[in-house]
Formats: sequence, C-alpha cells, structure tokens
Amino acid sequence: MITMRGETMRYVTYAIVALLALVMMPATAFGQQAYEIGVSGALTGPAASTIAPAIQGLRLYVNRLNKEGGVHGHPIHLIIRDDGGQASNAAANAKQLLSDDHVALLINASLSSTYAPMMKMADRTRTPLLFAANAVCPSQAFPPAQRFVFCSSGISTKYDGRAAIAFIHDHASGPVRLGLVAMAIPVSRGGINHAAGAAKKMGMKIVQKEAIPPTTASYTSFATNIQDGKANWAYSWAPWVTEVKTFEALRQLGWNGSYAAVEQPVAENELKHLKDSKFYIVSSDSLFSEKLPIQKKMMRVATSANAKYPADEMTEGWIAGMVLKATLAKAGWPATRQKVLASMDTLKVAMHGLRGGPILWTKRNHFRTRQYYRVYHWNPSSGSIVRAQDWKAFVVK
Amino acid sequence: MQLLVNIVVLTATYALISCGYVLIYRVSRVLNLAHGALMMLGAYLLLSTALVFHGNPVLSLLMAAALSLVVGILVYVFLMHRMTGQSVLAAVLATIALSIMLRGGIALVWSAQSRQPIQHLGVSNPTIAILGAAHTSACSLLLVAVAGVVYALLFLFMRFSRWGLRMRAVGQAPLLAAQRGISIHGIYALAWALSAFTGAAAGVLLSLNSGLDSTMALVGLQAFPAALVGGLDSLGGALAGSLIVAVTEVLLIHYVDPLLSSAAPFLVLIVMLVIRPWGLFGTQEQLDRV
Repeated sequence: MITMRGETMRYVTYAIVALLALVMMPATAFGQQAYEIGVSGALTGPAASTIAPAIQGLRLYVNRLNKEGGVHGHPIHLIIRDDGGQASNAAANAKQLLSDDHVALLINASLSSTYAPMMKMADRTRTPLLFAANAVCPSQAFPPAQRFVFCSSGISTKYDGRAAIAFIHDHASGPVRLGLVAMAIPVSRGGINHAAGAAKKMGMKIVQKEAIPPTTASYTSFATNIQDGKANWAYSWAPWVTEVKTFEALRQLGWNGSYAAVEQPVAENELKHLKDSKFYIVSSDSLFSEKLPIQKKMMRVATSANAKYPADEMTEGWIAGMVLKATLAKAGWPATRQKVLASMDTLKVAMHGLRGGPILWTKRNHFRTRQYYRVYHWNPSSGSIVRAQDWKAFVVK
Repeated sequence: MQLLVNIVVLTATYALISCGYVLIYRVSRVLNLAHGALMMLGAYLLLSTALVFHGNPVLSLLMAAALSLVVGILVYVFLMHRMTGQSVLAAVLATIALSIMLRGGIALVWSAQSRQPIQHLGVSNPTIAILGAAHTSACSLLLVAVAGVVYALLFLFMRFSRWGLRMRAVGQAPLLAAQRGISIHGIYALAWALSAFTGAAAGVLLSLNSGLDSTMALVGLQAFPAALVGGLDSLGGALAGSLIVAVTEVLLIHYVDPLLSSAAPFLVLIVMLVIRPWGLFGTQEQLDRV
C-alpha cells in the first residue's frame, strides 16, 4: 500500500513537472516564430464600451490573418493586457511588454491618461508606439510628429471638431446658436475648445459650453443650461456616454434643436434606437449601413468566431489590424523594432471603403495626410440610417 | 420650475441609492463600498430578464427584483457572513474586493458594450410636461415615485413590523439581540437583500432612462456622501442628505460652473464633517464606531 502510494506520488510529480514545462515554454516554440506585438488597452473601466469591441476586432483580424499563413509565413502573436484606462497599469503593461515579452511594436488602445507613461517607455526603448482601436490620436502623431508615435485611429481632437462645425455651418438654416458638450476630462475639453475656435471663425454664437463629469447621476441639469441658452444646435466631442445621454436629456426637456456627435462604436445601434432625424453622427469611418464588401467580411468573421461584440463596433480594431499587416509586411522577417519603425515612417494602407481614403504616413506626419468625414443620421421616411453628407476631406498640416 | 424638477429627480436618485448604504450600516456597521456595483448588477439582471421575457416588462422587472434580493442574500452568505466577528475595516475591504469582482464579472458576462434595456422591455420613455413650465421623462417620474414608495415602506417596516424591530435591535445591541433569540445572521442577510434590492431599483430606473454601461458603478459612489451627510444610521437622514446634495449640485451647475458638479457632494460632506461630523440625523456614538 505504501509502495502504491509512493508510485502514485511519483507519477503525479512527473505530471506536474511536465505540465510546468509546458506552461513555461514559449508559445512560439510549438510552431513557427511569431511577430510579437504588445497591446495595452482599456478592456475594463469607463472607456471599455468603446475600446473593448475594437480590440476584439483587432484580435479577430489577426486570428484570421494567422489562419491564412500570417505575414511572410510567420504568425502575429498579440499580447493583450488590460490597463482599465489607468496610467499606472499602462506603465506596468508597457514595461512588461517591452522587457519580458520583447515586443517589436506597442499598441495603445486606452484613455489619454495612459499616453504619457507609454510614450516615455517607447521613447526610452526606441520602440514604435501605435495609437489605435478608438484611442484618440495624440498631438504627437500630427505634424511635426514625434519619432516613435503613430496613430491609425479615426479620432482627432482637432479635425473632428472642424468637420462637425463645417457640417453645421453648411446645413443650418439660419444663424447658429451653438451649445458645446464635453466630458470633464482634459482630452474632451481640448476637443471642444478646438470646435469652439472653429465655430467662432465661422461666425457661430456659442451660447453654452458644458463639461460634464463622468460620474454624474443626471444629465438633465447640464441639458437645462443648453436649453436655457436657447441653442438651436449642439455639438458633443466626448466619450459616447456623455454624447448620447446629454442628447437624450435635451430631448426629455422638450428641446427641438439639432445635435452633432462624433462617431463611436455604438453610434450605429444608437441611431437605430433613437430614430431622431436631427441627431447627426460625424464619422471618419463608414457605418455598416453602407454594406461594403469588407464590412460583410467582418460580419462573417465575427459570426463564425461567435464574437462578444457586433461587427459594426469593431471597425477601428479591424483598421488597426490592416495597418499592422501592412507594417509587418514592409518590415520583413525578423521584425526588429528598428525595422518596424522604418516601415512605419513611410506607409500607405488602403482602407477599402472603411474610410474616405488611405492612411498615409510620412516622416513628418504620423496621423495621415488627409482626414475624411461622412455624416449620418436617421431617415424616418425610409426607416434607415442615411448619409447627411458624403466624404469631405481635410488636409492635415 | 425646471430647476425644481431637476432637484426633485436628483434627490430621488440619490435617496434611492443612499438608503442601501444606510440599511447595511445601521444593522451591521459595515460601509458597503460595493453598493454601486450591486446597483449596476441589478440593472444588468434586468437586461437579462428583459431578453428572456421579451416584451413583458412587468414579468421582467419582477424577476430582476427577485434576483437582486437573491444576490443580496448570496453576498451575505458567501462573503460577509465570514466577516462576522472580524474588524469593521476587514469587512469594508471585503466590500471593495467584491466591487472589483462584480465589475470584472459584469464585463465578462454582459461585455462592456453600452446597452438599452428599455428596447428589450418594449416600452417607451416619453417626455412629460409638468404644469406647462418644465419637462421630464416618464422614467424620471417613475424614479421619484419609486423612491417615495420605498422610503415609505422602509419607514413602516422598520417602525412597525416585527422584523424591522429585530433589525433595529440587532443594530443597537447585537449580542443582546442574539441572547434574546433573534437570528443575527438572518437579520444581516435581510439587510443585504433589502440593500441590494433598493440599489437595483435605482440602477434599473437609471438604465431605463439613459442606458446602461460600466460607468453606473461610479454613480453609486457619487450618492455615498448623501448618506454620510444625513448620518449613516438614519433613513430620514439619507433623504435629507440627498436633498441637500442635490440642491447644491443643481444650483452649482446652473449658477456657478458645471465642472463643480462632481465635487458638490464632497463639498457638502466636508462642510458637514466640520460642523456636525456624525451627520444631520446620525448619533455621535455611531461616529466613534466608524
């Protein structure tokens, strides 16, 4: 009996040792060596509703690409870490991804509070840092761009506001009394300040500027201020929660004006829910109402992968995947950080209709040379989402 | 008039949330910092019941209410029960851990996607004019009504029912109450169930009015100062604290600067801590225990 127990213990020990060896062995040892790419994203926390679907889009794109043979015959290994939108978590993630996982490229898909520590780490280790999957493009990606900072996201504090204000200017039937809505966070207030500048140049009167805290229990008080200012248009550049809840609060107050908001993943579903013809979505991405072939493909991939999020919320992640593929294809194999950086310095990625034009990076411009916007709204007579304005280009200087 | 309506709705919101803090503190002296997450869980439970009983709002709401009661009991049985006899600080830390777990669990189960439970219930949320001078939504009015009914029922329950009397007894002298044959754990479980229920009611009504996402847990924490201002061991205090915080917040937004709104509850709290640290209707003895 004692011998039996001893033998059993020995087998159990062998099994544990074997299991540990398996667990500790790098994943790539099972097959080909992979391109190591690190992602720090807000999979939880206040920004998760915007970021998490995009990260799933990126993951699905990479999985599909790997199944088709990867890039130069090598799979892409995405290492995704949650930072909850916290700067300290992002810094820890970046350190681990750079030191332990030796990634060739860092991707930030998170809140602006995480930007500074990740940029610092990228700069110190001379690693390219891509802002993607619904992260707001930082000013360092715009001309003159910082050496290691790139952005594939469609969100820009400067150009979103310009596009929205230009749309309001073109479509308003009389003098515009504009209410501006931000979330009380620096990046959102910055975006609204850009819009305010553009609005003043176009002769619009800004009647109210609201910065709403993310923890607010009721948006009605803020909406009351906009209504009391007799605004006939409102523009919001903020996380989706603030954009749509302020609009709903305005409507609950009986406000009958028009409202422009910047597109975010849930916008399309929200347009269908609100069914309000005066709620406009200013978008740098095509909505799925366009029924593009690439969008149909995304839907097929999302369905076959039993994705947690609908495909129409994954566009930004898919675009990040397209940029990643183009970058690595140009960098070749093996992809060192220097080679990836050199590849990104002058890169052109076709968007296949997901955007108005390609992403084109130059040594001086790591955002894109032209940013395009479409505007969508609900058409009650057709019962569907339609374009209120087709692609309009803004030259990025 | 519109400002008055805004104040009433915000007071009701804070009152409905903060009574959950009071119920647990009054009975067990535990500050439940998971209340915001439990409130959010209640709203997500409605989302699930609305999907199961599509187009049947009454059944969906009843099921969500029942489930939130069960959640409260489960939290007590599987977590807070183990904290009995431990320091209050340990129990508070356990609620923080619970909050983190719940938020993570919700993201895993329901995803981080923004949701509109009202779509699945098949009801609408029309704008209602009040005396022709102000407007609010039907769900906001419902929230005010529910807050009124909940407070009325809680007052009656605590003052006149046998279980309410037992709850008060356990809150004042748990050892003596146990020696008199009162089931301490039964009372604690009841307090957790009622707290989860009232929190869920607030979460459900807020989500019907303006959608559901992961920021709701933060709204729950925003109401915490209202309970503290009123005195953590007083339901009447929670109501008064909610009113003071709501008035301050709405007036600051309207007349001073909207940016001050998130600081308003804490400004009121600081003033109260300086003038009367145990809150409007709290007792000094309670503060010593904190």
